[in-house]
Amino acid sequence: MLSDFGLVAFNGLAWAMAVFIVAAGLTLVFGILHVLNFSHGGFLMIGAYVSHDLLSLLDGDVSTISYIGAALAGGVVVGVLGYFVDRLVLRRLKGVEEAYSLIATYALLLLCVGAVKMIWGVNFMSVPAPEALSGALFYQGVFMPTYSMFVIGCGVAVFLLLDIWIRRSRTGKLVQSVAADPWMCGLLGVNAPAMYTAVVVISFALAGLGGGLLAANQSLSPELGGHYIIQAFGVIIVGGIGNIRGAFLASVLLGLVVSFGTVYVPEYPGIFFYLAIVAILMFRPEGLIKQKGLA
Amino acid sequence: MMEHSKRHRDKYQGLPLILMILVLAAIASVPFWAGGGFIFLVGLLLIQTLFALSYNILFGLTGLVSFGQAALFATGAYATAYLMRTVPDVPFLLALLAGGLAGGVIAALISVIALRRASGIYFAILTLALGQLVYTMIGKSTALGREDGMTGIARPVLNLFLFEVDLSVGDRYFFFILAACAFVAGLLWWVWYGRIGRVLYAIRQDPERVNFLGVNVQRYREIAFIISGVTTAFAGALLGPWQQILTPEIADWSYSALPILMCLLGGATYYWGPAVGAVLFVGLSHATRMMPGISELLIGVVLLLVVLAVPGGVAAGLARIGKSWRRSTEEESI
Repeated sequence: MLSDFGLVAFNGLAWAMAVFIVAAGLTLVFGILHVLNFSHGGFLMIGAYVSHDLLSLLDGDVSTISYIGAALAGGVVVGVLGYFVDRLVLRRLKGVEEAYSLIATYALLLLCVGAVKMIWGVNFMSVPAPEALSGALFYQGVFMPTYSMFVIGCGVAVFLLLDIWIRRSRTGKLVQSVAADPWMCGLLGVNAPAMYTAVVVISFALAGLGGGLLAANQSLSPELGGHYIIQAFGVIIVGGIGNIRGAFLASVLLGLVVSFGTVYVPEYPGIFFYLAIVAILMFRPEGLIKQKGLA
Repeated sequence: MMEHSKRHRDKYQGLPLILMILVLAAIASVPFWAGGGFIFLVGLLLIQTLFALSYNILFGLTGLVSFGQAALFATGAYATAYLMRTVPDVPFLLALLAGGLAGGVIAALISVIALRRASGIYFAILTLALGQLVYTMIGKSTALGREDGMTGIARPVLNLFLFEVDLSVGDRYFFFILAACAFVAGLLWWVWYGRIGRVLYAIRQDPERVNFLGVNVQRYREIAFIISGVTTAFAGALLGPWQQILTPEIADWSYSALPILMCLLGGATYYWGPAVGAVLFVGLSHATRMMPGISELLIGVVLLLVVLAVPGGVAAGLARIGKSWRRSTEEESI
């Protein structure tokens, strides 16, 4: 019984960290630009496809290092795309109503889906997990696939890096202050527009990296982007948008709810995620951690 | 924005009426010269136009962005189809009304949860989550055919008390859709230009000031959500017998994006904007349906352009042309 419990909790954590990797970049951009980026999932998907192409060059001989390397390359490609998206679209959304900018990023998601269909086609593709990550460990009777452990490790690493960067480093604090008051920061000699661009590029690079890291988990198809974005939306809205600690907390909470829900009420898998969001927002409409700006 | 305050209550009121009759006549003529595929497409377009017009009561008039409207559309569609299947003797008009009412009930529930607590982007995401909840429930419900959908929905017999019309014969159901959509669009027109519409429009402009004037803003937003929910579900209810199959995709969030795109494309501040948008959107996606990828790219680019460059949509452009034309004729008459 205890080992069952452990297994369900482990699966919940694996789900949570996968979604957190997606949500982290999303919440970062919202924190500073106040744009909820629908296309984040689309760029994640592009990152996954790019790393798929790079790995297929290796002819099936995929090591953990090359797997991570391909994901990093995907991150770089999508980060560069992010620069242009910021220049062409996000920057122009400043004066636009919140809801309209949401729709503009939805249009970007459509562009991502269209581009993926044109370049990679509509057929399913798959990325093999590297040799070292395709096994499983038994600990106290709990079956733990090494790939899930890898995803959990990546999620925690992303969280720690972002949290330390934002809260402890000088540039992180500057980003926070730009999020709070760009005008004042400008007066004090901070190049606020450059900060915006930097955060957008980091967020997109995270999406691309996440796409590569999570690619082995599923079959790649043009629907992948929309699938991930809904879960990430749920996580950041429950966590309090713009809040990285909140997103981390919310992803763990929702991951456990989803995992336990699927086990104990198998007739309706998937509804617990939405029920939990609704329930939490009924009582805490601003999310778990209520804080203005970026944190 | 100025067009609203004037509301066209001038001597040119007759012109739109003539235009409307011409458009209706043109649509009604479709079965006489077009093939089956095109007739089906136009029927679908009519239903989706009503969907978009209903949504615009919320979006363009009240200024609320819901990402869960497809759940209401699907509620109407499934409720009517389920009722027709389980109670074969039910009069079709009653089944349609029941579908609309079911949508109203779900809309009331959603508005209680989503409107009381959240606004702006939180409202958009909450409606998205609630809509996905409905989508998941439909996909898992055996009575509604699970993911495979409900098949074999028959076109019913319409009982008009004095006589009966079998809508399964020929293109009769097409004409029924046209009549039903025109009727409900008329009701929505009355809401848009009537007292409720004016209050809703004022709320969109400045909710705080309207609140000061003693109007219960929250109550009016709920009313807008429910009105839009009932007519959206009614549009959905028409869909089942037309397609003769219903799949859960019509409840998915990507289907919720459909009326948003139509409203934006056509011009959300105009009553007829979404109809113009629906024609353009269906035309675009039909023309590019054989080219995977191009369709999304094209719609994405057009949408971006509308948001970034022409926030008023196509209708704003048309209205500008219309105004200058009117001005020139006025000058001539002097």
